[in-house]
Amino acid sequence: MMNLQRRSFLYGLGASLGAVAATQMLAAETPPTAGPLAPKPPMHPPRAKNVIMLFMEGGPGHMDTFDPKPELTRLHKTESKLTGGLETGFKFFVGSPFTFRQVSDSGVVMCDQWQHLADPYVADELCNYRGCQAESLNHPEALFHMNTGSRLGGDPALGAWATYGLGTENQNLPGYVVMTELALPQGGSTNWSNGFLPPYYQGTRLRPTGSPLLDLASQPNKTRSHQRRALDELAWLNGEHLERLGRDEKLAARMESYELAFRMQAEVPEVIDLGQETAQTQAMYGLDAPETEAFGRQCLMARRLVEQGVRFVQIFSGGWDSHDYLERGHTARIKSVDKPVAALIRDLKQRGLLEDTLVIWTGEFGRTPDNNKRGGVYSLGRGHNNKAMTMLLAGGGVKPGVVGNTDELGASAAECVHPIRDLHVTLLHLLGLDDNKLTYFHGGRYKQLSQFGGEVIQELLA
Amino acid sequence: MANWFPRSTTTLLGVTLLVTLSLVAFAGAHASEEAERAFALDVLPLLRQKCLGCHGGATDGIKGGLSVADRDGLLVGGESGEPAIVPGASDQGTLLAAVRWDGLEMPPKENDRLSGSQIAVIERWIEAGAPWPDEATLARYRAEVMAAGTSEDGVVVATSGGLSDDWTFRRYHPDDLWAFAPVQELSLDEQRAHATGRSSDRADEPHDLAFEVAVIDSLIAEPLVAAGLEPTGRADARTRIRRATFDLHGLPPTPEEVEAFVAASEVDADAAWETLIERLLASPRYGERWGQHWLDVTRYADTGGMSNDYERSNMWRYRDYVIRAFNSDKPYDDFIVEQIAGDELADQSVRERTDGSEAEVHRVQQSGEYSQREAEWIVASGFLRLGPWDNAMVEQDEARQIWLDDLVNITGQAFLSTTMRCVKCHDHKFDPIPTRDYYRMYAAFATTHMAERSVPFLAEESQAGFEEGRAHAQRMLAFAAAEKTRLVEKREAAARAWFDDHGLPYKNENERKELPDEEKPPRHVGLDHVEQGQLKVREQDEWIWTRRLERYEPMAQSVYNAADFTLAWNGARKLRIKRDKKQPSEAKASFILLGGAVTAPGEEVGPGVLSAVPVAASTDINEPHLLTEAIAGRRLGLANWIANPANPLTTRSIVNRIWQGHFGTGLAANGNNFGAKGARPTHPRLLDFLASDFVNNGWTIKRLHRMIMRTEAYQRASSAPEDNSWQTVDPDNRLLSHFPRRRLSAEEIRDGILLVTGELQEQRGGLPIMPEINQEVALEPRMIQFSIAPAYQPSPTPAGRNGRSVYAYRVRGQADPFSELFNQPNPNESCDVRESAAVTPQVFTLLNSDQMTDRSIAFALRLEQERDTRAAQIDRAFELAFSRQPSDAERTRLRAYLEEMRAYHRDHPPTPRVYPTEITRSLVEEFTGEPFEYQEILPVFERYEPDTGAADVSPATRALADVCLLLLNTNEFLYVD
Repeated sequence: MMNLQRRSFLYGLGASLGAVAATQMLAAETPPTAGPLAPKPPMHPPRAKNVIMLFMEGGPGHMDTFDPKPELTRLHKTESKLTGGLETGFKFFVGSPFTFRQVSDSGVVMCDQWQHLADPYVADELCNYRGCQAESLNHPEALFHMNTGSRLGGDPALGAWATYGLGTENQNLPGYVVMTELALPQGGSTNWSNGFLPPYYQGTRLRPTGSPLLDLASQPNKTRSHQRRALDELAWLNGEHLERLGRDEKLAARMESYELAFRMQAEVPEVIDLGQETAQTQAMYGLDAPETEAFGRQCLMARRLVEQGVRFVQIFSGGWDSHDYLERGHTARIKSVDKPVAALIRDLKQRGLLEDTLVIWTGEFGRTPDNNKRGGVYSLGRGHNNKAMTMLLAGGGVKPGVVGNTDELGASAAECVHPIRDLHVTLLHLLGLDDNKLTYFHGGRYKQLSQFGGEVIQELLA
Repeated sequence: MANWFPRSTTTLLGVTLLVTLSLVAFAGAHASEEAERAFALDVLPLLRQKCLGCHGGATDGIKGGLSVADRDGLLVGGESGEPAIVPGASDQGTLLAAVRWDGLEMPPKENDRLSGSQIAVIERWIEAGAPWPDEATLARYRAEVMAAGTSEDGVVVATSGGLSDDWTFRRYHPDDLWAFAPVQELSLDEQRAHATGRSSDRADEPHDLAFEVAVIDSLIAEPLVAAGLEPTGRADARTRIRRATFDLHGLPPTPEEVEAFVAASEVDADAAWETLIERLLASPRYGERWGQHWLDVTRYADTGGMSNDYERSNMWRYRDYVIRAFNSDKPYDDFIVEQIAGDELADQSVRERTDGSEAEVHRVQQSGEYSQREAEWIVASGFLRLGPWDNAMVEQDEARQIWLDDLVNITGQAFLSTTMRCVKCHDHKFDPIPTRDYYRMYAAFATTHMAERSVPFLAEESQAGFEEGRAHAQRMLAFAAAEKTRLVEKREAAARAWFDDHGLPYKNENERKELPDEEKPPRHVGLDHVEQGQLKVREQDEWIWTRRLERYEPMAQSVYNAADFTLAWNGARKLRIKRDKKQPSEAKASFILLGGAVTAPGEEVGPGVLSAVPVAASTDINEPHLLTEAIAGRRLGLANWIANPANPLTTRSIVNRIWQGHFGTGLAANGNNFGAKGARPTHPRLLDFLASDFVNNGWTIKRLHRMIMRTEAYQRASSAPEDNSWQTVDPDNRLLSHFPRRRLSAEEIRDGILLVTGELQEQRGGLPIMPEINQEVALEPRMIQFSIAPAYQPSPTPAGRNGRSVYAYRVRGQADPFSELFNQPNPNESCDVRESAAVTPQVFTLLNSDQMTDRSIAFALRLEQERDTRAAQIDRAFELAFSRQPSDAERTRLRAYLEEMRAYHRDHPPTPRVYPTEITRSLVEEFTGEPFEYQEILPVFERYEPDTGAADVSPATRALADVCLLLLNTNEFLYVD
């Protein structure tokens, strides 16, 4: 009954099409242009077709990863009179516990804790942007801002806008996939919400344990052929009903969604079966070591999903909120993502996918150069900094090298300074979308990701 | 300043739009003067509003080198070297092409694009030689038009004034102001003309509902006739009872109710229908269904969201207040005032029954010695506490601003169908709402502070489950406290050893906090990284369960008035009435916050209301839109202004919502936005007729239901008319040629299934019920500040799980995936209409989930209990699920399927489901950057009474359950006709 070759032409994820019964559907030639998630042409020639966003929840310290501050080392443990941030009272400067070296000809610098990312084959692809500024000082608001363009939470996520604008290539898989390393980030699913966009554009969680999509599998005592029988029976009942009522596109769309679900039940387990990868690839992503396994799995999954035509993949890694014990915390966190991220970029590059895939590594904000005397000498750390942060971009039309800069203490962005909305506008631009035209009418006005418009950060473009 | 309503009376500020005002002032004007006037009133404001931001001001910042700041700039043009305008030649110059988006696209934002008429205005001005008179002349033209109130280009609206003259003196298309215009009553003669010859012969005089029903049907019929559409006839009785029961109860009718109604309809169709409506309105299920609509708008949830997602332990009392209000048909004006200012009503009442001193009012606020009526008022003010809010890591002023902004926004959306959010930073782009009005309304809330208050329980509030809930919370608390103590003791033992080693006297953690580093042990001495992480989790859990205990106390999420209040850094944890010793006797001044920034106060403003609405809020003739500046009474003034019978926004807003509840789409399609950018009403006279009738008859919502449901429009068949012309003339069926079919809401699907399976447990109100939700979601870790939120534990008994969805525990950070998939709205945003798109994950849940499997088993068991033969069981299943008998074809087919499944299930035994009593959770600890694990107890599952599962029943029952599952997955079940 299934024609495998035609599978990819059947429209997807709740697409609504004409009023044809589901059984007829499978026999009919269906144009890939139909349905809300069908691929749509970009507004201008794109530099990237897909996005993989690696989100470091908690806010990595820029001066402890890619933006060295020798001046801080000099001032280490001396009193700070800086204002801003949350901490008040006696504050002292904290020099980074790490040493740094340049890793690419284009000028990218990173601390020694980054071993794999420093390999020139990977590092030559990296763009380190230091000019972005967040607004909010606390996690959920800042997470919402970076993910949805609004601090309040409830607006559509970047991935939702991207799939709204471009659709997705594979109609048998969700267009926007979200994975979390362990726990859900603060604010939970509001971070990948469709907001006011139609529900087709909501991020779909691919779960790290248990069922990859909720209730994807039948009950254990029900086989696939049992499911097929049930669906045939259901299609017949629905067909009788539709015949009585006459044409109704919504009813027809619901009938179709059952057939798509049946196909997804077969396709999703195949895509996420990492056993199909060679032992060498698995090792490259760190699947053989406990500290890198969780994130490595998800990075490898991200590559497979992008290969299969998923438009936007997002992975959340938690635990970067180093108020105390910065050295220990960041060392372990870097170790858990270093190898997987490097493997992802290397793998994409080797397969020729990197030029079409934009990889972003970012947190929701950066960290302060100073700290309260929280743990005294025993637990050096940093507060939240909404004036400076650091991020990596690779592939998909970005220019390798360092863009922008922070001041000599890392307290604030100082060169090529842009708010988050400009970053969003730039990311959409790379995907061939114009933020000012990618709008949706809701609540009385045309809304856009940047809220009120923004500008492309030209310096980031190759 | 001129008005578009006269300010001659003190109570009612006007009744007519002055759109018909004579244009004599402009007659005979010279042609060039016309062009100058057009420039002053239209062209210049457009240039300033749309272009000047990028093309003006300092020369070095000008985009493309073009300045529109003066005429010379336009004549010279920008970098292209071409002039922007050539006077007298509109076919030349770059300006017109750019605003047409022909080549250049200006302004670049979709939102800012010029309309065709705006472009035409510029074109005419260029053709006329592009005159640009001096400032004095410009001012003269503005003054002229203000004096007249209107011109052929639109209406001027008197407001409190914008941030610029361009805004203040701009003109509106009268059609865009429909919502601000006074409600137009239909004269009795007009009503009679509409009612005559329609509906039953009783419909000849007002004050018999049949008369009003006939008027409504006539107002619906007019545009249908004009469009040449023939409406469908009445739906059959089965369809109509199903429609009405889902509509008013959110549940399907029972087969017995259906049969009784069908029989009664054959005797007297109209009488049977009226009786049905009365029966449905009299049931407490009505408030559970219609209360949900209001809770969607006000964003009900049991937690506060954001960082900590703190529980709002007593929020359920507000939810029950809303349900009671609908059931008792509380007049809507009272409903408004109680939600916005219920605490002020209570204070006023205390003042009246005591010595009237403020000290006594304050004392009672602390002690909670309130009468039942006063208590209910305070519970109602929980409306003000419904937005997502947490001040963790947010500076005090900003945290407060976030809340006050939220109050302005939600008050505008919920009661006035007006979106205020954009007015926070600038005068409204399309509607006559200046930023000044935003901050006047903001000032109306500026003396309001959040508090969990002591408020006695009401007799009608259910306290069922208090004992059990308290015992559970205490058990969880005891576990967290014991674990914490164990870790603290270990740490302190190590600390003691450290002090001994250093020859210093032992000091406990608090005492040593301020010591220099070298005089105290390291912060987490004696604990490894796993224990450090665990200690943080246990400390947080201890707090969470302590707070949960407040749920069983006579408290309410409410507010109080004070001049000032200092918020603690973790203030959201514990909000109490707290009056600082040195309270100023007067409220602090309020300001326009420029650009919406709390750090940029501009002009001072007093508390007030929307100045474009022709209704006074005070008796001061000069400032009718201002409220008291005292600390107390601001909200009461605002609420009374909203609830003023003459407030056209309010009355249209609510009748439109009720209409939308019945037909799926409002007469004005955007229930939260009546502004120029919201949809205009399809039947404006009907909307106004309903609004005036509503006010004239005591603001009763049940009367509105009766009127609407008795119309022919409501009773029509949902199948599209035979004649297909509606598909081109009225494809969205806004003219209601047939009844709009709709998918059930998430709550109706769940509740409807529970009713059909016989499992629905109807206890009314009280503590949130804890349904069984997807187990993976219930137990999955989610981050809150410093920790992971405790796992979701369902209620141990079916009675505590299988109640109605409106009572289900709603956590902002953890949606029930079933409800979320079926478009239950995210409670962070006010929802005026539900989505119903079909997305694939809905299929997975409806076909494969544990919950649906359990429902299908329960359904099968019910059928087996009520009917003996397989054939009769299938018939009964159709009656219960679809309110009808199966056709012969359906019977034959499903009996064969049932036999096939009986054979299948003999060979496919299910495995019993396991409920864990303890889980291991893991979290990446920021101290180390490494994951650590800890145990969490789930005592609910020690005494869990699971619903009967597949493993508990025979293969024959499982086969019948397969049939049941199919029926619950059909379109026929999930849609209502």
